[in-house]
Amino acid sequence: MSDLLGLIVLLPLAGFLFNGLLGTRLGGERLNETAVNVVACALPGLSFVLTLMCFFQLEASGKPLIEATYTWATIGGQRFEVGFWFDRLSAVMTLVVTGVGTLIHIYSIGYMHGDKSHARYFAYLNLFLFFMLLLVLGRSLLVMFVGWEGVGLASYLLIGFWFDDPAKAAAGKKAFITNRIGDAGFLVGMFLLWGTFGTLDMDTINAGFLGPKAPAVSASLVGLALFIGACGKSAQIPLHVWLPDAMAGPTPVSALIHAATMVTAGIYLVARMSGIYSHAPEASAVVAAIGVATAFFAATIAVAQTDIKKVLAYSTVSQLGLMFVALGVGAYAVAIFHVVTHAFFKACLFLGSGSVIHALGGEQDIRKMGGLAKKIPITFVTFAIATAAIAGIPPLAGFFSKDEILWFAFASPHGGAVWLWALASAASLMTSFYMFRLLWLTFFGASRMTPEVEHHVHESPWSMTGVLIVLALLSAVGGFIPVVHYLEPQWPLPAVPEALHHHERNLIFVAVALAFAGLALAWWFFSGDASRATRVRERLAGVHRWLTNKYYIDELYEALLGRPLTWLSDRVFLQLGDRTLIDGTLHALAAGAQRGAAAFGALQAGSLHRYALYVVVGALAAVLWSLRHG
Amino acid sequence: MDKTQFLLWVSLVLFSIGLLGLIVRRNLLVMLMCMELMLNGVNLSLVTFAQRGGNVEGAVMVFLIFIVAASEIAIAIPIVLLLVRHRRTLDAGAYTDLKG
Amino acid sequence: MIIEDLLLLLFASAAVAGAVLMLVLRHPMRVALALIATMISLGGIYGLLGVHVIAVFQIMIYVGAVMVFMVYAIMLLDVRDPSFTERYSTLLWPGVAACTVLAGVLVGAAWQGQAPLLKGAGDAFGVQAFSVAFLDRYWLYFELTSVLLVVAVLAAVAVVKLRSARRG
Repeated sequence: MSDLLGLIVLLPLAGFLFNGLLGTRLGGERLNETAVNVVACALPGLSFVLTLMCFFQLEASGKPLIEATYTWATIGGQRFEVGFWFDRLSAVMTLVVTGVGTLIHIYSIGYMHGDKSHARYFAYLNLFLFFMLLLVLGRSLLVMFVGWEGVGLASYLLIGFWFDDPAKAAAGKKAFITNRIGDAGFLVGMFLLWGTFGTLDMDTINAGFLGPKAPAVSASLVGLALFIGACGKSAQIPLHVWLPDAMAGPTPVSALIHAATMVTAGIYLVARMSGIYSHAPEASAVVAAIGVATAFFAATIAVAQTDIKKVLAYSTVSQLGLMFVALGVGAYAVAIFHVVTHAFFKACLFLGSGSVIHALGGEQDIRKMGGLAKKIPITFVTFAIATAAIAGIPPLAGFFSKDEILWFAFASPHGGAVWLWALASAASLMTSFYMFRLLWLTFFGASRMTPEVEHHVHESPWSMTGVLIVLALLSAVGGFIPVVHYLEPQWPLPAVPEALHHHERNLIFVAVALAFAGLALAWWFFSGDASRATRVRERLAGVHRWLTNKYYIDELYEALLGRPLTWLSDRVFLQLGDRTLIDGTLHALAAGAQRGAAAFGALQAGSLHRYALYVVVGALAAVLWSLRHG
Repeated sequence: MDKTQFLLWVSLVLFSIGLLGLIVRRNLLVMLMCMELMLNGVNLSLVTFAQRGGNVEGAVMVFLIFIVAASEIAIAIPIVLLLVRHRRTLDAGAYTDLKG
Repeated sequence: MIIEDLLLLLFASAAVAGAVLMLVLRHPMRVALALIATMISLGGIYGLLGVHVIAVFQIMIYVGAVMVFMVYAIMLLDVRDPSFTERYSTLLWPGVAACTVLAGVLVGAAWQGQAPLLKGAGDAFGVQAFSVAFLDRYWLYFELTSVLLVVAVLAAVAVVKLRSARRG
């Protein structure tokens, strides 16, 4: 039974190999497509079933499942093992990854039907799932890092899936490079931990920090280093710039990777290493501060976006920020809870937007939508439920998880403060506002579509709408899954001081009020012909421009980093280093050889006298040498 | 200074003069004659050593060198004749076809 | 003994003088005559040393065959030639320097004490001893020399004939 974990991880890899190698060679386009669809969806589904079995086993035994698969390397006296670890946190994460992952695979059947690289898509998607499972099931930071890098790779491959378009390829590159910058921090953290503990097994490290003796390394330093890696992967300021560009990939990719699973890897990392963060108040304060700043700023940008997927992208960044707020104040289990609910409703939202895009034949600009509620009803209803969930309308899933975050942002003794709560609540208000704005502009009001597009609007096939229905149901009832309670034995909630307890009910009311306020504001501005919104936009044109252009951060990075680096590459490394030094040296060597050859060639002048002289000189040298050494 | 040493010096001087002549003289035939002079110098040293050691092998070798010198001259002079027939000059500086 | 030493000195000087004249004289015929003088002097030295066989063969083969052939070639090729006016090549002084050094080194290397000459070595180099050595121990090389001579004759003929065949 203890091979199940490895099997869970390897099944999607088998899918990758099958789809990648054989997906286009089975003979006949229909056969290829059907075979790829079946294999690509069955294997993750199987992984999900196996995860359930492991989950029940975990419940039965009460102890984490540990699998030491093999020794990767033995260097010096140190051994690097590849092992898997399945405790409650891993169970939650793996269930989400395999469950939502399988659903999205099924959705992709309909979405990617007819695409010319159909098999490659499913191969990459399976590859992603393999790496993600490696990430969440790994026992040591090293295995996790392999998965970490692998999901970055899969993300790059999938964002730039339609690489014929150079802008899409560039988006993939941007994602990968930004991730790698964060990974430098992750590596530094790993080096520090390795130097201190001599092992990278996460359970050992956590025990080391929670134990009686403080370890030699500063917890805050390690915590900050690892957090930099989490910033890169989970798109927090200042490494958030890749996520909106990543919308260039197919929509199911955005749903799976950039909403439900990969971006939550940073949250998982921090929650997993809670032993470090619970003893690092400075690092936790930084985590919370960056989280709330990201939540706020991303929400402000989302208000002004006009591409349906970009709104959702910034919404993801904002929600991730809220999760980091929870982590920063010590409520690790609450952050994971929000990961779960967020996976449900964000995946539903993304897939719903994919359905809308599919219905409109590729249109993504919400200014050119409208009046779709009656035309694509299933998409509309599921989208609406998910929107209400993210806005925090009770009793849907988002309400429960977000409310807990706000409560602990206010009341946690490990850094909870009023300003933290206030900013987070402002971000939640804006979340509700822009999500309902999205809903209104897309589905309600008069149709702003062009006639040809409007003529072809059609509901998506059952492979897509079925998944939407499942995810909408989960968004509705997901809040009742007792994730926090389940994780509490290992990740206890911060103990709120007695004096603040009575605020709890007030804060709930405030949160609900804000959610409905957002709904009301959106209705006020965007119903009908959205004339009030247009007026406000014209009055605040400057602010609006700043928001539409994402605070010009991309331009700032380009000026600060991009151009100097390009200059350095061109002038120093290319011209000076490569051309002058390396090529110049080679040319000089060749020229030197040629000149030497010419000089030696001059010795052979064809003159007998000269040859005779050479003989004399040679004989003289030989005689002298033999006299000296004879 | 005894005879052997003296004759050895003589042979070395003859050899060196022959070598010098090969380098400095331009006329092809004179160059051939300088080569003969070199051979003679060597012969002298061989005979000197043979006589000192009392063994006859040195003399035998000198005899063989005679034969070889004769054969060499038998070939070399026709070659020079043919070269001169072609180029109408005996100047060694004119024959630089093997240049480069 | 004195007369023998004196004769030795005389012949040796004649040989060296002939060699020096070879370098200096202009006309190839006179150079040939200087060489003949050197060779005859060397023959004399061999005779003084007691190796009469070699002395005789020196005169017969070198002077009688080689130099005659050389004189014949010179007479055949009386070409009024730039090598008459310009005796020396461009490498005169480098050559002189190099050969002087070489001679000096070799002569200096030979400046060592030698064992005295053996007396009465004349018998060992008589015709009888010489022939016995040649035909008993070194007969193979004797035969090889005959082969060499035949080959030389053939080669000389072939060289001339080939050239004329190609040209004619």
